[in-house]
Formats: sequence, C-alpha cells, structure tokens
Amino acid sequence: MLDTLNRAIASINQVVLGKEQQVRLAVACLLARGHLLIEDLPGMGKTTLSHALARVMGLSFQRIQFTSDLLPGDILGTSVFDKNSGQFVFHPGPIFAELVLADEINRATPKSQSALLEAMEEGQVTIEGQTRPLPEPFFVIATQNPVSSSGTFALPESQLDRFLMRLSLGYPAPAAEKNLLMGITRRELMQSLEPVLNHAQLAALQAEVPKVQAREAVVDYVLRIAEATRSQPQFAYGLSPRGALALLAAAKAWALLAGRAYVIPEDVQAVLPAVAGHRLRQQADAGGHGGAALVQWLLREVPAL
Amino acid sequence: MSASLIPRISLTWLLVAQALVIIPHLLHVPSWLIPLWLLCAVWRVQIFRQRADFPPAWLKGLLLLGVTAGVLLSHGTLLGLDAGVTLLLCTFVLKLVEMRKARDAQVLITMGLFAVVTSYLFEDSLLSFAYSLLPISALIAALIGMQQSSFNQRPWATWRLAAGLLLQALPLMLLLFVFFPRIGPLWTMPTADKARTGLAESMSPADVAELSRSGELAFRVEFDQAIPPNAQRYWRALTLEDFDGRRWSQAEFTRQARAPLPDWQAQGEPLDYQVLMQPTGQPWLFALDTAAPPDSAGRQAVDFRVQRGRPIEQALLYRMRSWPEAVRQAQLPSLQYRLNLRLPRGFDPRTRAWAAELSQRFGSDQQGLVNEVLKHFNQQPFHYTLRPPLYGQHSVDEFLFDGRRGFCAHYAGAMVVVLRAAGIPARVVAGYQGGEVNEAGNYLLIHQFDAHAWVEYWQPGTGWQSVDPTYQVAPERIEQGIEQALAEEGSFLEGDLLAGAQLRKLAWLNQLRLAWDDLNYSWQRLVLGYQGEQQMQWLASWLGTVDWQQLGLTLVAVIAVLLVLLGVWLVKPWQARPVAQQRYLLAAERLLATQGLVRDSGEGVRRFSQRAQVSLPAQAAAIKAFYREYEQQVFAAESVDEAALKLRYLRLRQALPWWQRWRGKKNAD
Repeated sequence: MLDTLNRAIASINQVVLGKEQQVRLAVACLLARGHLLIEDLPGMGKTTLSHALARVMGLSFQRIQFTSDLLPGDILGTSVFDKNSGQFVFHPGPIFAELVLADEINRATPKSQSALLEAMEEGQVTIEGQTRPLPEPFFVIATQNPVSSSGTFALPESQLDRFLMRLSLGYPAPAAEKNLLMGITRRELMQSLEPVLNHAQLAALQAEVPKVQAREAVVDYVLRIAEATRSQPQFAYGLSPRGALALLAAAKAWALLAGRAYVIPEDVQAVLPAVAGHRLRQQADAGGHGGAALVQWLLREVPAL
Repeated sequence: MSASLIPRISLTWLLVAQALVIIPHLLHVPSWLIPLWLLCAVWRVQIFRQRADFPPAWLKGLLLLGVTAGVLLSHGTLLGLDAGVTLLLCTFVLKLVEMRKARDAQVLITMGLFAVVTSYLFEDSLLSFAYSLLPISALIAALIGMQQSSFNQRPWATWRLAAGLLLQALPLMLLLFVFFPRIGPLWTMPTADKARTGLAESMSPADVAELSRSGELAFRVEFDQAIPPNAQRYWRALTLEDFDGRRWSQAEFTRQARAPLPDWQAQGEPLDYQVLMQPTGQPWLFALDTAAPPDSAGRQAVDFRVQRGRPIEQALLYRMRSWPEAVRQAQLPSLQYRLNLRLPRGFDPRTRAWAAELSQRFGSDQQGLVNEVLKHFNQQPFHYTLRPPLYGQHSVDEFLFDGRRGFCAHYAGAMVVVLRAAGIPARVVAGYQGGEVNEAGNYLLIHQFDAHAWVEYWQPGTGWQSVDPTYQVAPERIEQGIEQALAEEGSFLEGDLLAGAQLRKLAWLNQLRLAWDDLNYSWQRLVLGYQGEQQMQWLASWLGTVDWQQLGLTLVAVIAVLLVLLGVWLVKPWQARPVAQQRYLLAAERLLATQGLVRDSGEGVRRFSQRAQVSLPAQAAAIKAFYREYEQQVFAAESVDEAALKLRYLRLRQALPWWQRWRGKKNAD
C-alpha cells in the first residue's frame, strides 16, 4: 500500500515540478484528514497541485472561486423549484465534492467563509433544516493571496486554526522551472494522470494514521513545544490543544509516509513549520506573519530529547 | 579569549585580597614586592578595561627571571622559608597578569590561601589569626564573584555571602581542630630564621645588659599552687662553667647529650606548674630548681638544666615539677669537680691573691669563706647599674677593686672566679629571675629583661648550693624586680620605646596590657598548644583512652559518613534515575563529543546520527547501529532490551579507541 502511495506522490511530482516537500506535506495533510491552506502568489501552481492531487487520489474535484459577492448558497447549494415534479429539488453546491479547492478564500465575506469552514469542521452541511453529509473523504484546499489584500477579509486566527497545515509553494528551482517551460502544458499533462489510489485504499491509509505509534518520548517533545509557545515571551499566544493534536496527527501521517510505524522527533520537526506556522504570532507583531521565525526558534531551542 | 571572563566583582575582591595577603608579609619580604604588586594590579585593571593586553610570553619569562634574581639578591638563596615565601608571593602577584580564564583565577585564589597559611609561620598570635580572616574572606568572595554575573555591582553582598560561608564552615573547622591528629614530623613547620633575643650558650656582661633592655616575652608560668615569692623564683636555663677571662660559656662536657645523669634526692614539697615558652631556637627549657621533668617535657642534664632533643622553634607548652629543697649531687664526680675549679691562666692576679688570702684565713670553713665574699659585696661600695664602665683585660680585678659598678653577670662571674680561686667548685647559672604576676589570669610573665645570672657552689655532703651575690648589692632587684632596681637610674627598657617603661607607669594602661597578654596566653595555651600531648590528654578526658590509630580511623569514618551523606544529597537516588537508554545515549554522546560532534538541543537523534556518520565515516556503521537501536527502543514499541543497547554502545566505543578520543579532545580544546 505504501508503494502505491509513493507512486501517487511520484505522479503528482511529475506535474508539480520541484515541490517534493510540499507535495508530501499535502498528502500527509490528506492522510491525517486535515485541510490545507496554501498561501502564495497567483500562478505558483496552487490549482495545479490541488488538481493533480484530486486526480491521482481518484477524488472528485470542485473549485470555488471566492469573490466578495459570493453567498453561502453558492458554496453549499440551493433548492430550486422543479415544475415537472412540483417540488423543490436540492441542487448541491460545489462543496459536495471530495476535494474542494477554495480559491482566494480571503476575498469572500466572513459569512461565506464561515459556511465553508463550518462544513470543513463538521463534515456535513445543514441547508433548509436538512442535514446533508459531505462525501467521504472530504478534503479542502483553500488558497490565500498574501498581497494585493485591499478589499479582502483575512481569516481570523480561530478560522486559521481549522486548517491542519498551511503551505507556501514558493518559486520553483531554476532547473524545475526550465523543465516547466520546455515541457508540454500542465493542462495536457493533467489529462494523462491516472488515478493511483481508489477510495477504499485511501480510506485504509487514513485509518492507518492513528495507529502509528507515538511513544512517550515523542509526546513529551510535542508537549515541550506547546509549553514553549505558551511560556516564552516572544509568542503572542500559545499553541492550542487542537494545535498540539494537529501536530501529533500530522507527524503520524508523516511517519506513515516514511514507512515507519512509529513517530520520531524528526517527523514532528518536518511538519512543524506547516502545522504551527499559521497558528503562532509574534508578541512584537501580532498581526504579522512572524510564525515562520517562531517555528525556527522552536526547532532550534526546544530539546528534541 | 576575552578579559571579561573574570567578572568585575571577582577581580575587585581578588585585588583587595592580594593587598590583604601581602600586608602581613611585608615585615620579612623585600620591599620591591610592593611596586611589583602595584605594577601587576594596574596592568590587570587596564586589561579588564581593555586598555592593555596580556603580556607576551617573552615578557613573562623576563619578569620571572627578574623576580628570581631579585629573590636571590635579597635573600642570598632560593631555598628556605623566607626566600620560599617571597618566591610564592612573587608568583602570586605575577599570576595576576596572566589570568585569562576562570581556571587561572582559581589557581590564584588557591595560592592566596596558601600564602595566608605561610604567614602563620612567622606570626601565630591571636591578632594575626584575627587579621587573616580578612584576606581569607576576601579570597572566598573572589571565588564567589567568579560565579556571578559581570553586571553585578554590589561587592559587599558578595563579601557577606563569603563571610556567611566561612561561618558555616566553623563546625567542620572545630571538628578538625579537635580530632585531627598532629602527626609528628609530618606537620612540623619550617621555621623563620629570624634573630631571637634570649639567653645563649655563652655570656659576657654586655650580652646580659642587652637582654635587660628587651621587653620581649620569654615565657609564662601557671602554678598549680600559690605563686612562690619573687626571691624564690630562679628560673634555670643553663649553667656556664667555662671561663676564658672575659666570657662565660657552657662547658663541652655539660653540653653533651651523653653526659651522665646527676644523682639527687628529692626533699620537701614539690612545685607543679605549667610553662608556655616562646620559641628560643635553643634546646633548653626553663624550670625552677630542682626540676624533675615528666618524660614528655624533656630530660634532665648533668647540670640540672632541662633539655630537649631539638631546638624550640615554636611556642611550647610543658608541665614541670620542681623540688626546691632537693639535695643535688652530694658526691661530685671528679671530672665535674675539676671542671668547676678551672680558671684561665694569667688573668686577674689581684683577685687570685685575695682568694688565696681568704682561703688561708678560713681554711676548711668553706661556708664562712662564701659568706665573707658575700659580705664583701654587701659592705664595699658596689653599685647595681646597667651602665657599667668597660673593664679591661683583668676584668674581674677591675670590677672587684676599682669600678665596683655592674649588674648580675658581673657579680656572679666575679664571685665564681673568687670561689674557684679559693678552691671551692662553683659555676654561673644563667636564667631568669622573678617575673611579673598577671592578676587577671593568675600566672607569671617572664620577660627578657628578667634575665639573670647567679652562682652555685658545691660543698661535700650538702651538694650544690645556690647563692646570689646581686642580692647583697641590690636586694630590690631580687625582691621587686629589675624595674625597681633601676628606678633611680632610669635605664629600665630605655632602648625599647614600644614596651617602654612609661607605658607601665599608667595603671589603666598596665591593666590593659596585662589583660591583652592574658588573652594571648589563653590563645597560645588553648589553641596553639593544643597538639601532641595536650590533644591526647584532652581527648582522653572526654573519650577515655585514645590512640592515634583509633582516632585516625574515627576521623576517617566520620569524614566518610559525611561524604556519603553529601553524595546522597547531591545524587538524590530517590529521584527517578534516567532510564538505561538515556544513560547510554549520554555516554555515546560523550564519546562523539570528543570528536567535536555535539548534538544541538533541538536536534533529533536520527539527524544527528546522519551528521555523525558523515563526519566519521570510519565509525559510521557503529554510529548508525547504535542510534537505530536507540530509536527502536525509545520511539518504537519494540522490546526494551538494555543489553542490546549496551552492546551497540560498546561497539561504538571500540570503534573509537581511546587515543583517538584523546586526540580529538585535544584538538577540540
């Protein structure tokens, strides 16, 4: 099964060039049943990554372009009167897909954002008094544009906390970009991607993650990290217990990807920037993006053993 | 290496301590040590302020050479106590400018403590002990200051902490003081070769006059009974039997340690007393006649003096028993008989003629002859003075018949010459007479100015008889002391300003002086005198019989128990010990640390292992195996097998042989 997973990752890497680490983290996020926030400039391959992930994993894919006039109904779906049957028929919105790409999530109003985020958290949506389950697996990749943020509604910390990981893709390496420019277009490549995993296999893999061993030594390390964020003066606020849980879950998924049945501190360290980066703020600059520096501090200073 | 490694407080206290350590030594070290110290101190301060650099190696070598040459020039040698201490102080001072790391400062502080101890070799009075608390506490404060932040600005707080620590060490100090065995030659200290005032093996009148001008303390006596009257307190030191016409000296026969023991018979009531004598550099002790020393004190010599095997170089406390009415040598061996009749040829013809006349007049009535001589001193216009005229070649003649001015040495010497010339065996006894009673402590103080000489003559049957011609001339000298005898002349202690006669005239000042002496006496008796015999006796009175072996074992046992308790307290075995995996991990990391590989605190073992494998390709396999095993045991739920981890650790150690570790460590340093 692990071979299959590695083949899936290799396939995605054929499309998303030079981003092995981010692809791996995205897959780990999926395995840990978390949701992914990608924060990057336009045109960095966010959509490509999401799309490739959906295809390789054999997931149905929907994309929602968030705009300031987007309404919750546009995400969740609406009931429309069917004159043939004389009844209101529910037309499911784009959220009813297995992999949803919420593009530029910060452009929508908080009301629409909440609709998505609630669905993410609950795994179901309630429309017109009726609760409808979302498909299983359900995986949201939201993207944010850090620049040209006028007229946007930045996600508050409480919402950010709902994303297991936040990634930023960054510019590709020159060699990867050269390949990108010389090769055929991504869109055509995407068509040639074959699903590597089916739903059953993915579900089995997701079920494997909680079984990965996290012994006391690693749990203590996670606790030390959480404690450091709560006690050290440079942190505006500490990691929430959900954050600590997320860290451990992500580390387990990472260990699984590495083919290990137990977590080692290096797993925690590998996922820490993605898991904790968006949950931390610097005391000196509480509104800023200091999380990365804080994570580096944690990696350096918190004793691994 | 930056100069700021030694914090400000520490440096401050170190400089203060150096000054305090050096001050008491200034009496016996060359004065160029002061500018040397000032130079080094200023240099050190400039280094601290980063205005100067550490001296280069050649300059240090030059300084060392210069200092060695200086010691050689000042003392004439590099060996011996004085030169040794000077050398120690010089290195103590010079170390200041090459003090780079904390370790150097620790060396300096240790040297300082040692230098304080060496000052006790020169002066062990209560005052010097009290003073030495200052440099010691300053040194401890410097030691504490090394552990404090460079930003600490409060030197007095540091000193208070040091004083508190010293106070806490008090019980341990007392324990060691009481129980630590003073094992003979191991603990005998080298002695300062300073000139001492006191009696010598030979005596000319000028020597005694010199002694009479010194207010220095000779010894103290505490009687078990009431203090006998002044006129009975004749403290014998030695007898002078050889006369060369000018000087009296100890006879070779008498001096010999192998000389036979004299026979004598105890009579009357004995006197028991305890003497605490100042170091004299001479082997004889002071005692009243006729002394029967306990074995530990010394042994009786052929002329009834009490002698030790070695010169007394430290204050000595001994008990003594004397039989004032004893009959000494009813039979005189012929060798001693002849010895005590010998006179140099060609001296003092008038005295000899007078003696011959007396001998003829009294015939066999030798007692009458002695009385006649004493009467001569009494009735002729003799004058007791410390400023006698200088007598010529026939000094006895000129003294007896022309000058008639002199003091005890003149009278005793002249009388012995007369008696010998008249055929009566006689000799001069040198010692001390009288002494000052200290009411505060009920003991006697005998000073150098109490030095005295008197006469012993021998009669068949009755043995040696003591007689004091000075008494005939100046009875107040014997009954009230030399101060009274010289009251008119004003020559008492005229050369000694500090202990001067003026001080003794003010009653309250005199009281103060005696009280202070009482304190010093207690110090010497109870603290300095607490060794050897005294220690044994005191311990025996508390613990029953003790022997050194038992005492040593007890001491070792007590210290061992204390150390074990301290160890238990430090290790705290009741707290959870690190599990085996942690111990082996630490051991392995110590191994790798010798190669400069140190795991960062945030670094996991797997990444560190990979780093180590790259750095040490030769040991890569062993490193990998160890860390894999560790990871398996700690992070995977697999069997926790201590032995397997130990095996991997041992393999790793094998892969890194000791020389490689050692070399790596050296390179890392």
